[in-house]
Amino acid sequence: MREHFLLRTLKMFADEALDPVTVASVWRKAQQGAQHSRGCQTPAVLSDHAGVQTRFTASSSTQTEPQEQNLQEGGLGGPDPPGLVDFLKRVEDPVTKELEKNSRSHAFDGYQANWEEGSDHVSLLHSLQHPGAEESGLHVSAVSWSCTGSVIVCAYGRTDDGDWTHQKSCVCLWNLDRRRLRPKQADLVLEVPAAVTSVCCHPERPALIAGGLYNGEVVVWDTSRTQDPVLAQTGMSADSHREPVYQVVWVPLQKKGDFGVLSSSSGGEVLLWLVDPDQGRLVLNAAYAFVRQQLPHSSSLKSRGSSRVGVSALALSPWDADTFLVGSEGGLLLRCSFSCGPPAAVAPEGRSVAPRAPARFCFRPAGGPVHSLHCSPFHRYRLPPPQTAAVLTRYDPTRLRRNLFISAGTDGEVRLGSLLQADPLLAVRVSDSYVFQAQWSPSRPLVFAAATGQGEVQIFDLARKSLRPAATIRDGAADRTATCLAFNGADPRLLAAGRSDGTVGVWLLSSDLTEQRAEESLRLEQIANQVAE
Amino acid sequence: MADVDETLKRIESHKGVIGTILVNGDGIPVRTTLDNSTTSQYARLLRSFTALASSAVRDVDPQNDLTFVRIRSKKHEIMVAPENNNLLIVIQNPCE
Repeated sequence: MREHFLLRTLKMFADEALDPVTVASVWRKAQQGAQHSRGCQTPAVLSDHAGVQTRFTASSSTQTEPQEQNLQEGGLGGPDPPGLVDFLKRVEDPVTKELEKNSRSHAFDGYQANWEEGSDHVSLLHSLQHPGAEESGLHVSAVSWSCTGSVIVCAYGRTDDGDWTHQKSCVCLWNLDRRRLRPKQADLVLEVPAAVTSVCCHPERPALIAGGLYNGEVVVWDTSRTQDPVLAQTGMSADSHREPVYQVVWVPLQKKGDFGVLSSSSGGEVLLWLVDPDQGRLVLNAAYAFVRQQLPHSSSLKSRGSSRVGVSALALSPWDADTFLVGSEGGLLLRCSFSCGPPAAVAPEGRSVAPRAPARFCFRPAGGPVHSLHCSPFHRYRLPPPQTAAVLTRYDPTRLRRNLFISAGTDGEVRLGSLLQADPLLAVRVSDSYVFQAQWSPSRPLVFAAATGQGEVQIFDLARKSLRPAATIRDGAADRTATCLAFNGADPRLLAAGRSDGTVGVWLLSSDLTEQRAEESLRLEQIANQVAE
Repeated sequence: MADVDETLKRIESHKGVIGTILVNGDGIPVRTTLDNSTTSQYARLLRSFTALASSAVRDVDPQNDLTFVRIRSKKHEIMVAPENNNLLIVIQNPCE
């Protein structure tokens, strides 16, 4: 009995394996909550139109008080210091008396004071020759004085062959202020591969010289450089001239102190170049082409031959930076403008700048090719009307009207014209043959000189009653033509004249040709005011 | 102010007068009919010139004094009326 009870209790404590039991989580479901689908929509916005109008208006204005004009000097136009009115009252009477006495006075009639020893006649100072040029039979084609007036630049070249020439020529410089001046040997000789037709010295930098060559190139030399004086040249690029260059001129540009080179050629173009010294090139800045159809009043001219108008002479106006004068091989005289002008009716010819037609006004044509043009550097001495404030310099259109110019050509006459009038004011018979160059004197407003084909340089003085020359410079044989001349801007007594035998004469003019007298500007003004009937 | 202008206008209306400049005691141009640069040039130069002329006259005779300066040049005549460093400069073209 007791054994059975023990066995049953032992079976109660045996090992058993049971299957696992899983219990699902009820937390997640409890947190989710119930999900339903619903829609919603905003109601339409109500809009309405309404008008607004002002019922009454009131105007008021504001203005700043004008500021008292105060100049840099200070005090002009402002309240006067008290002593000034009294001073003026005291002084007015004596001043008025003196003014009246002076206007009636004859005390100084015909009185000429001379501070320097003047000379009575024209004399030859130097006769400069370059043996190399003389051997080759070159003519002097152009002379130019440097801006300081001490160096004369002579260009040699023959242009009367009528054909392309491969003859080398040169540009010679003489410094006349040197003590040991050697007339037979130039101080500096620049070799040039072609004939030089024109030179022009820079108006401000004495070392720069611009030259135009017969093969259409324009070159700028810098004589301060010892190694290679050629500073810049156009080269034979698409931009350069294809015909001989007739004239080169330095022209002031927009920026003060900058100058460009203006060159004209017989191909009918005038090109404006800028100097690029780093690259040694002249860069084309503007091009002007002359085509017969685009000239003003061209219907009155006979159009024969090609439509291009070969430009043989160029002149800048010293008073109007926008105007320049052009003379052509056919005798046309045109007044042109740098800035405004329609595009020229020519084929582009691969130029980098499109050419314009600059002609604005056509003067009466001359009988033959125009060789030379020059604008008068004198202007009437005129002051603006009185004002209490200081006078501002304003553009005065009457300035253009007063400017005179002379033109010389193959008809043996030098014509005096005014810029605003088609007909010339005066025609002076200079010689029976061609006149190659005419230039105004830089010191006397009524004097100009002309270089003639008969070898003489005639100097005319418009103050004289007769129109015979005031002085004639004759140097040597009469069959040598005087091809060019130049007045010295710094020393107006000197005149240089180049001839076809290769010599350049430097002449000292007499004092009555160089010293300005009273009333000369007035007389010039009277001539300018004449209207040709 | 109007007196000054009227007086100056009367002076300017004389025959041949090209310009007038009124300079005060400090050498500053107070009224002018010429342009700025010319005015300052005239004022500066004529002031020193007038002072020189005045001292020359007084050196010769201490009782004497300068009343008027007239400078005749080729182109025109410059008249200066000095007083106490004030100057009235008139430029006239005599038109003979």
